[in-house]
Amino acid sequence: MVLTERQNDSLSELINIAFSRTGAALSELTGQRVLLSPPSVSMHRTADLPRALETFIPGEVASIHQVFAGPVAGDALLLLNYAGAMELTNLLVDEPPQTAYLDESAREVLTEVGNILLNACLGMFGNLLRVHVSFSVPRLHLESLDALVASLITDEDDRRWALVVSTAFKVRDSAVSGFLVMALSVASLDRLLHEVDDWEGRQV
Amino acid sequence: MSKTDKNDILNAAVLSWMQDLAPQGILVTDRSLAVIGWNQWLEERTGKRAKEVLGRNLLELYPDLKTRGLDNYYNDVLSGQVRLLAQRLHECLLPMPTTSDFKEYTLMQQSARISPLYQDGEVVGTLTIIDDVTERVIRESQLQAQLEARSQLLANEKAARREAEEANRLKDQFLATISHELRTPLTAIVGWSTLLRAGDLTPAAATRAVETIYRNANAQTQLISDLLDVSRIISNKLVLSMSSVSLTSLVERALDAFKPESEARNIALQPTMEPGLPEISADPERLQQIVWNLLSNAVKFTPEGGTIQISVKRIDARVEISVTDSGIGIDSKFLPFVFDRFRQANSATTRDHGGLGLGLSIVRELVELHKGSVHVHSEGTGKGSTFAVVLPIGSPERQNARESAGGPECVPLNMPTSLDGLKGLVVDDEEDTRDFVRTVLESCGSEVTTASSVSEAITMLERDCPDFLISDLGMPSEDGYALITKVRALPAERGGRIPAAALTAYARADDRHRALLAGFQVHIAKPIDPQNLVNAVARLAKKVHD
Repeated sequence: MVLTERQNDSLSELINIAFSRTGAALSELTGQRVLLSPPSVSMHRTADLPRALETFIPGEVASIHQVFAGPVAGDALLLLNYAGAMELTNLLVDEPPQTAYLDESAREVLTEVGNILLNACLGMFGNLLRVHVSFSVPRLHLESLDALVASLITDEDDRRWALVVSTAFKVRDSAVSGFLVMALSVASLDRLLHEVDDWEGRQV
Repeated sequence: MSKTDKNDILNAAVLSWMQDLAPQGILVTDRSLAVIGWNQWLEERTGKRAKEVLGRNLLELYPDLKTRGLDNYYNDVLSGQVRLLAQRLHECLLPMPTTSDFKEYTLMQQSARISPLYQDGEVVGTLTIIDDVTERVIRESQLQAQLEARSQLLANEKAARREAEEANRLKDQFLATISHELRTPLTAIVGWSTLLRAGDLTPAAATRAVETIYRNANAQTQLISDLLDVSRIISNKLVLSMSSVSLTSLVERALDAFKPESEARNIALQPTMEPGLPEISADPERLQQIVWNLLSNAVKFTPEGGTIQISVKRIDARVEISVTDSGIGIDSKFLPFVFDRFRQANSATTRDHGGLGLGLSIVRELVELHKGSVHVHSEGTGKGSTFAVVLPIGSPERQNARESAGGPECVPLNMPTSLDGLKGLVVDDEEDTRDFVRTVLESCGSEVTTASSVSEAITMLERDCPDFLISDLGMPSEDGYALITKVRALPAERGGRIPAAALTAYARADDRHRALLAGFQVHIAKPIDPQNLVNAVARLAKKVHD
């Protein structure tokens, strides 16, 4: 499945609205200016995700994973490489000790940040679709990209597509790249794209 | 049992666990955020009984939740989202005193999770679970500190290795410089000696040859002396012999010494001495070395027609000697390393001006041994430089009286220069040295026999019964230590108690100590000038009379 240029633009704009809300929430939370760079959106088969992301995320991946359920259901993830995850934590937390590895407290910070971002995006989609989306408790995992993707591929053959949004957290003159991944069933994706088309039509 | 009954029992079990057993704080509100659940854990840690809080609005009960923007978290939860609170970002959700034994925190460190409670698909309230993570946070902090210390240690080790490699490189460069600087005077010495031996020189040229040889030999002696000083400094064996010193006289004598060279190069020496300066407590020989090194440096690096200002003044309980020249100046990048050992031997400068460039590092070490300080100032290349030495007037902490174990030759004596009537035995495997020593001693009236080996020396000692013995230490087959051991084993009437001096190129404090322990009374370092040799023998002679 390939997004049309219009769909791509509309999705990018919608996600950017969620990103600016996320940036504002993180700025308030951390007391420093946090911005998320404008998103770049693409669509991939879930099974192809390792190939699509491996150059950006080699080695171990820190992922904040939240399952969402409702008329539109799927998996939402924020992916960071290990070094980026550490850097983001250190940028957001001003006080020492600066973390030299992802200890439990650092993982909590990442989980809270991921939770805010994922909920902002999913909340925005929920509003767009005029449906209620419920969320599971977010979990942080450290594993290889292959293992992560394997966990996303279920026996249900219909959950095969992943909307991949690349962005960067900009904090204190530094930028940490990350990916937002939403793995959706074909039915959910169809419904989402249909609503996106409608929304785009309403904007004209 | 009906399904309803089972559910009732399960609900009762969950409620009981939540209320009494849960190792976490559990707080339940309705949609209006009125508290409807407050477990025992919370009662114990907040000091608020359930009956005090139930029914009250959470944001009124804890107004700072609003101040900290956490009311938005509850609003998000009421819209169906889940919210987490990381300790590192929030420290706590509800302020409570810590129950931890550790004193790092007075407030309990918490992480928390707030979830919506659903009934028939609608959010009807919130469930907050609070964990006490104080001890975990402290453990993490300790572990991070350990990791940081380890990484610092690693960084230090890397820095030390880089430093060692740099020091090694500088030493290599320094050795190359030494080799060059020692060979330079040798070239003149060997060259002119060869011409002298050939006997083809006119009397005037021969005189110039001898003067050149003498000057170059002295230059080499100074180089070696600097090297030995550095060696003593490195091995911490340089100690001071303190006495009262008139700085004014010392500086004036130094200026006199540099006058010929400065006049020859049209360099003006401009002294400014504060009148009435008190004497200071210092090692006169070493203080002279400090002043000489500074002046010698200034003269060396000041071009013809330049000026050198020397001032000596009192600053409270200290005196300052400053030497300002209009010379080549010092690049700001090199300024911090001016007093560094080896680093001073900047190859370009050394090549242009000669010398080992150890003078300033020796100055710093000597000044610091006097509990003083030395500073340098230069506006940059071509803009001259100022060296200022500040020394305390009063007695610094008393140092050991002499270098190393001290030697009898260090005791100041009124030494005669005549050796009339004294018979001496000189032992050295090198004929040149034997001849030199014999010539010098005979010129002062002594009667001298020489031996080139230990066995020959023992024979002569017993045959001639000399008044003193001078022996080299490093000799093939049997060395000077073997000789003195054999001598001291002899009965007194066969020369076993003869006063003896070791004359040797083994000039370190350790060598001196070993020679004295072996049975020599005096240790004389090569090279030695004739006057010092005569004085040393006179001291030995005094022992004959004593």
